[in-house]
Amino acid sequence: MWLLAKEWRELVAARAFWVLLAAMGPLVGFAFIGAVQTYAEASGFNGTAAGVGEAFSPLVGVWAPTFSACELAAVFLLPFVGIRLVAGDRQSGALKLELQQPMSSAARIATKALILMAGWIVASLAPLVAVVLWRIYGGAIYAPELASVALGHLLNAALTIGLAAAMAGISEHPSTAAILTLSATVGTWIVNFVAAVNGGWWERAAAYTPTAMVAEFQHGLIRLDVLLVAILLSAAALLFAAIWLRIGVRVRRRGLESAALAALAALAIGAATHATRSWDVSEDRANSFPVADEAALGRIRGHLSVEAHLAPEDPRRFDLDRRALRKLKRVLPDLTVTYISATSIGLFEQNSPHYGEVWYALGGRRVMSRVTTAEGVLEAVYDVAQVAPPGDTGTLFRGHPLAVPPRGAAWVFYGIWPAVVAGVGLAVYRRRR
Amino acid sequence: MPPVPMSARPWLGVDGLSKTYGHLTALDSVSFSIRPGEILGLIGPNGAGKTTLFECLAGVLAHAGGHDILTGDGPGRDRSDLLFYVPDGITPWPDQPLGWILRFVVGFLGGRAEWHDEVVNALGLAPLLPQRMGALSKGQRKRALLAVGLLTPQPLLLIDEPFEGLDLRQSREVAATLRWHVSTGRTLFLSIHQIHDAARFCDRFVLLSGGRVCAEGTAAELTARAAALRGTDEGLADFEEVFLALT
Repeated sequence: MWLLAKEWRELVAARAFWVLLAAMGPLVGFAFIGAVQTYAEASGFNGTAAGVGEAFSPLVGVWAPTFSACELAAVFLLPFVGIRLVAGDRQSGALKLELQQPMSSAARIATKALILMAGWIVASLAPLVAVVLWRIYGGAIYAPELASVALGHLLNAALTIGLAAAMAGISEHPSTAAILTLSATVGTWIVNFVAAVNGGWWERAAAYTPTAMVAEFQHGLIRLDVLLVAILLSAAALLFAAIWLRIGVRVRRRGLESAALAALAALAIGAATHATRSWDVSEDRANSFPVADEAALGRIRGHLSVEAHLAPEDPRRFDLDRRALRKLKRVLPDLTVTYISATSIGLFEQNSPHYGEVWYALGGRRVMSRVTTAEGVLEAVYDVAQVAPPGDTGTLFRGHPLAVPPRGAAWVFYGIWPAVVAGVGLAVYRRRR
Repeated sequence: MPPVPMSARPWLGVDGLSKTYGHLTALDSVSFSIRPGEILGLIGPNGAGKTTLFECLAGVLAHAGGHDILTGDGPGRDRSDLLFYVPDGITPWPDQPLGWILRFVVGFLGGRAEWHDEVVNALGLAPLLPQRMGALSKGQRKRALLAVGLLTPQPLLLIDEPFEGLDLRQSREVAATLRWHVSTGRTLFLSIHQIHDAARFCDRFVLLSGGRVCAEGTAAELTARAAALRGTDEGLADFEEVFLALT
């Protein structure tokens, strides 16, 4: 309890934390105001074409952009708070005193992580205010999808905290830790970029970068593999920090322990990537085929393989993957997808006789299609599996249009929020003195 | 804790402690012993390896060699039960008020709550309790760090430069406070680079130079040894001369 109290006091004393809190309001506000304005206009506000918003879901239209401000804060502000809390003890010399208490280093770093997560939850009051405002405007809220977005950003924060702690653990100085943390973040962006160009293993790895992970949750899809990988990565990073904060242990031993941890983490993460369970918690079932189709697909026996002759940067491949194959994989976990292309953009392969073909193979039968929409893929799958397609695929999601402008939001996020943060910060500062 | 009289019997031993930084040898097979209830002074010039030795003993710096450096029958088998090290020149928890820090030390490090007021008054810290650690002057910070050490429960206290940054009056007050703690059963191992200060205050000495222990003993023992080395005791009334003769 003493350590928890001390870490909380250290967090509250950190200027970086107050900067995070102060910035969170305007960041979230900017995203929320823009999203609600666009949502309102698409819903018929100010004489725009009413009805366009019928298919609108608050998840995609409001929550994904609003919470994306959290992603920005997690990348550019939260690491500094984490580094301040972890590296501060080493820099001030407090670590030399605290290490003489026989508490495990893992428990110490877990306490810091717990307090940092608590701090992040306090900062997340800004998007909560956005939720309240949306409710006041009369907007629809579907709790599971909102919870999915919040969970994604919570996991992203945990990853950031783990990364910042690990970097602070191996660095002598906080500025070095900050540079290393941002480098690691930029590294994940590079992985995403290379994956988009090269596909293959890069694409598989990119599915577990924080950006990709958050995107899944923002679409209302909770994938067990992503969940497990995020938790394992965060835990491994924190344990790495715990190893390196034991400054009284020889560097060689810490290095060996780190190598063993990395090997164990790699094994565990490798195993976790094979988890296929997922939950589509979006109100409009954005990540699933219609229920009737899923029932029909469930009757398919045997191994289905898909061979798509599309380059990584071809928009048709994006469509095929996001709008069809990902949904198909949720129903048929045994599905194998292979992409074949000679170039990354596919522009110069258009004349190739097989480019653009998507081959479906099941039980010795093969069917070719060039359609990359969900409906086209379903038709080809039913054809190759010789399963009768369902007649009625149910009602269409009508969405929740809301032609209301973001009234008062600017006052709340640009005025009241910073004022409250400044007021509380000043009160805390005076009380501490 | 009942008072423990200073005994000739070694209570704790340091055996063959070495530490290198790359090719630089900071400590070279350092061995000496500590007796219960004594004030042992670690004397050496700047760069002798005093702080390195303390940090290795406290376990906050890795040392070379695969065997246990601590031997003997001191109370408590674990290092954390046995000794507490107070570093020099640090400003721990700089944003926290001193009053809270001392309560934290008692709570987190299992310190002696019943000594809180006495330590605070003896070190003249009462007016400083609301001040942030980072806002204290060098001398005030030194007294605050001494309070941190004195409130811990370990029977052996390692203090790096206890009089550094203190004026004459404060040095005397701190010396009196430390002596009172020794009278209650505590053992002190102090690193002091001012030889005159050490000569006045310590019961025995370990002379460290260039990472090696040059001599160990009481002032009389060291003076006799220096005289034997020089062939005369002329000028050895000054402990600085004894130190120079032995290192």
